[in-house]
Amino acid sequence: MKYFDLAEKIFESGKDKFEDMEIYIEKTKTIEMSVFNGELDKYNISDTQGMSFRGIHNDKMGYSYTEKVDESSIDMLVNEAYENGKYIDALEKETIFSGSDKYEEMDNFNKELKSTPLEDKIEFVKSLEKEALSLDSRIVAVSYCMYNEVENSKYLINTKGLNLEDNTNLAYAYLVVVARDGEDTKTGISYVISRDFKDFDYRKMAKEAVDEALSLLGAKPIKSNEYPVVFRNDAFASILGAFSSIFHAENVQKGLSLLKDKIGEEIANKNFTLVDNPFSSEGFNSSTFDDEGTATKYKKIIDKGTLNTYLYNWKSATKDGVESTGNGFRNSYKSSVSTSATNLYVEKGDKSLDEILETVDSGVYITDLQGLHSGLNPVSGDYSLSAHGYEIENGKIKRPINQITIAGNFFETLMDIEEIGNDLRFSTNGVGSPAIKVKKLAVSGE
Amino acid sequence: MLSKKTIENVLYAALSQGGDFAEVFVEDRFSTNIKMVGGYVENSISGRDFGVGIRIFDGFNAVYGYTNDASEENLIKVAKEIALALKSEKTDIILNLMKSDTRNLNPIKIIPNTVDKAKKVELLKRGYNSAKNYDPLITQVTSNYFDEEQNVLIANSEGLIAGDKRVRTRIFVQSVASKDGEMQVGYYAPGASMGFEFYDTIDVEEVGKEASRIAKTMVLAEHCPSGVMPVVIHNEFGGVLFHEACGHSLEATSVAKGTSVFSNKLGQPIASPLVTAIDDGTMPNEWGTLNIDDEGTPTQRNVLIENGILKSYLIDKLNGRRMGMESTGSGRRQSYKFAPTSRMNNTFIANGESTFEEIIKSTESGLFAKKLGGGSVNPATGDFNFAVMEGYLIENGKITKPVRGATLIGTGAKVLENIDMVGNNQTCGQGMCGSLSGSIPTNVGQPTIRVKALTVGGRKGEK
Repeated sequence: MKYFDLAEKIFESGKDKFEDMEIYIEKTKTIEMSVFNGELDKYNISDTQGMSFRGIHNDKMGYSYTEKVDESSIDMLVNEAYENGKYIDALEKETIFSGSDKYEEMDNFNKELKSTPLEDKIEFVKSLEKEALSLDSRIVAVSYCMYNEVENSKYLINTKGLNLEDNTNLAYAYLVVVARDGEDTKTGISYVISRDFKDFDYRKMAKEAVDEALSLLGAKPIKSNEYPVVFRNDAFASILGAFSSIFHAENVQKGLSLLKDKIGEEIANKNFTLVDNPFSSEGFNSSTFDDEGTATKYKKIIDKGTLNTYLYNWKSATKDGVESTGNGFRNSYKSSVSTSATNLYVEKGDKSLDEILETVDSGVYITDLQGLHSGLNPVSGDYSLSAHGYEIENGKIKRPINQITIAGNFFETLMDIEEIGNDLRFSTNGVGSPAIKVKKLAVSGE
Repeated sequence: MLSKKTIENVLYAALSQGGDFAEVFVEDRFSTNIKMVGGYVENSISGRDFGVGIRIFDGFNAVYGYTNDASEENLIKVAKEIALALKSEKTDIILNLMKSDTRNLNPIKIIPNTVDKAKKVELLKRGYNSAKNYDPLITQVTSNYFDEEQNVLIANSEGLIAGDKRVRTRIFVQSVASKDGEMQVGYYAPGASMGFEFYDTIDVEEVGKEASRIAKTMVLAEHCPSGVMPVVIHNEFGGVLFHEACGHSLEATSVAKGTSVFSNKLGQPIASPLVTAIDDGTMPNEWGTLNIDDEGTPTQRNVLIENGILKSYLIDKLNGRRMGMESTGSGRRQSYKFAPTSRMNNTFIANGESTFEEIIKSTESGLFAKKLGGGSVNPATGDFNFAVMEGYLIENGKITKPVRGATLIGTGAKVLENIDMVGNNQTCGQGMCGSLSGSIPTNVGQPTIRVKALTVGGRKGEK
C-alpha cells in the first residue's frame, strides 16, 4: 500500500520518543473552472498531499504536519510532535485506535465522473452561463458560474496495526445571477452537488437561479413583528449546520453546549428527528470510518424530539466512559482530531412546501440567511440573521421581502417546530433538511 | 526555495503553448498553534506548508495550477497541463529574471520559531488567569496562541523575481459568562506582523480582561430592541463595517465584472463628504502589511474615498488588465493553493473632527455598537449584515443599558451616505478576511462614527 514504507521509517525514527504513533495522509486532486462572458475565466488544477503525524508519550498526544510528504520531513515531524506533546495538560487518556471489528462496504468514488471528458464539463459550465443570460432581459450579469471537481484519498496507518484507505470524488456547480430592474438589483443562486455527472442539468440550474432573482425584484422589508416563519429546506440546513457543534460531546464536556445533562430529555418538538447517517446515498460526507479509524455508524441524535446521544471521538468517549460513535474527524491534516457529524439531516415529514405554506395566514417564508459566521452564538443558541424571502398571506406567497433580520434562540426554535416538509435536500454545508415551519420568530424590518 | 534556472524553465514551459504572462509562486511556511481550554493546554500543533502555484494569462483569461511536488519535472508538467486550457498562439519570449530589492516594512526582532514553546504556553496561562479571575460569572475561557513565518518567492515572465518573509503573531482569548442558564461570549484577538517581541507591546492580561468584560456585560444585558435608528459605531474593530459594506465592493474582483455597486463610479460622490477611506499596505508591523503583495508588486497607500468622492479601487494584475488600470499592490492569496486576486490590507476610515463625547451627546436616542463581531456582504447588491458583540442603548445623549443580540443590516452605498458624524479617535483591529483567494490577515479600522439611520435587528421588538 502507498505510503506504507514511509510510515515504517517514521515509526522507526520515533520509537524511542513515543509509545504509539499514527500517520494520516490526505491526497487531493481538484479541477475548478468558471466562465465569464462566454470565456473560461478560471481554470485551476491541483495535485497536493499533506501528512499529519501524532504520537503518544506519557498519555499525552503530540501533533505535527507537513506538506512535503517525503523522508526529508521525518525529523521535523517527530521532534515537533514530541515538543508539542510535552505541554499538553492531559486530562483524559489519549488513545491510538487499533481498529473496529467490521467496516461497512461502500463505494464513494464514481469512475464515470472521472472519465467524463473535460470538454463536456467545460461545455456544461459555458452553457450554464449562456442559458442564464438568455432567459430574461432583466438578467444583466452572471456573477459566478462555476464547476468544481475534487478527488480525495485518505490513508491512516498506525503502530497498532491499523492500515486503512478511502477514496471519494465529488463535483459541484454553483451559479449566481444578477437581475436588475431600474435601480433595483437582486441576486439568485442555484447549485448542484453530486458525483453523477447526469445530475448537472444546465437548463434546470439556470432556471432556478433566474426565477429566484426575478422573484426577489421589488422586495421591500416587512413591518417588524413576530411572525410564523417557514424556512426553505436549504435555509434551515444552514442554521442547523451552524449550530451542529452543540451535539459534540467535547463541547458539552467543556461547558460550551447547553445540552449538558439533557440525554433522554425532550429538546425538540415530537415531530423532529435528527439523523447522522454516514451511509446516506444523497449526502456527500459518506465514509465507512472516521479519521481515528473507527467504523462509522447510523444514529438518531434526536429521536422524535428526545435527545438520544452526543457525537463522540475517542477522547471525549473515554471521558464519559462510553465508546466512540465514529465521529472523530479532523478539519484537515493540519488539525488535531475533533468531532464532526457525517451526513447530518432532519428526517423528512409528509407535507409538500405548498401544503406547509397553506397553514400560514400571515407570515414569512425565508429562502436565504446571511451572517451565519457572526450572527449566531452556538453557546447561548441566540441568533439574529439577515434574511430575505417572501411574505405569506392566506397560505400563499404574496410578495418578496428583504432587508430584514430574524432573531430567536435555536433551543426554543427546536421546540417550536410545527411542520416538517417532504423536500429533504443537502445544502452546500453538507447538512440536509426539508422545509421547516416554526411557530413564531421576531422579524425586524421597517 | 527554487533555483533561478528551474523557475526560468517552468516559465518557458508555461508559455510554450501560448499565453502572454506567466508567474511562479513558491511558498514555505512554518506555523505554530496552541489552544488552551479552561486553563489546560488541549492542543499544540506545528508544521510546514510547502507548495508552488503556477499561473498563466492569455489576454483576460487566466489558468492556475498548484502542487507540492516541487521537482522541475513535475512543475513543467503542471505548467504544460494548465497551458493546454488556453489554446492560443505561441509567442516567443526571452526571460531575464532580475532580483528586485524589497524594503522591509516589518522589521522582526525575535523569530517566533526560535522561542521555546514553554514561553508561548506561559502567555496563554496569563491570559487565561486574568480572564477567569475577572468575575465569578465567567464560566469558561478558551485561548489560542498563533505564530507563523511565511517565506515566499515570486517570479514572472516580466522579469520579476522577488522574495518576502512574513512573520505574524496573534493571541486570542474568548470568555463565556453564564447566568440563569444563559451564556454570552466575548473575545479579543490582537495580532501584528511582528515576532515574539509583539508581547512587549501588548499586555496579555488586558486581553483576557477585555474578553471577560464583554462577556459579563452581555450576560447581564437585555435583548436589543429592533427598528430603524441612529447607530454610533465605535472605533477599532467597528471598521469591519466599512471593510464588509464598502471595501469588498471596491475590490477589482467585482468591479471589473461590472457587478459591483461601485463599478464605473470613479470621481463620483459615493459617500458623505465626511468620509475619507484608505487602504494602506505599508503601515509598519501592522497585521495586514506586506512588503510586496502575492504577485510581487510593492504594496502602497491607496486613498479609496476622499471627502466622499470615489478615488480608487483595489486592483490586482489580472483585473487590472480587464479594467485597463495598474495594480494597486492588492493581489493577495491565503497560500499557494489559491490564485491571487484583489484584496484589502489595512483598511480604515480616516479621522474626522468630532470627539467621541460630542457624537454620543448629540444622539437623542439610538444604539451604541461598541464592539462588532463579524459580518458579510453580497457584493452585487451591497446588502450587508453585522453582529454587534457589545451594544448599549443611547438615551437622551447618554450611553445607558447594555443590550445583546443586535444585528445591523443595510446596504453599503446607503450607509456611506448616511454617515453624519466622524470622530477623531481612529484605531485599528485585526481580523481574518475570507473571500475568493482564501483567508488572509487584514486590519480594519475607523474612528467612532455615527450612521443617522440603520436597521437594527433584535429580539425585543420595536423600539
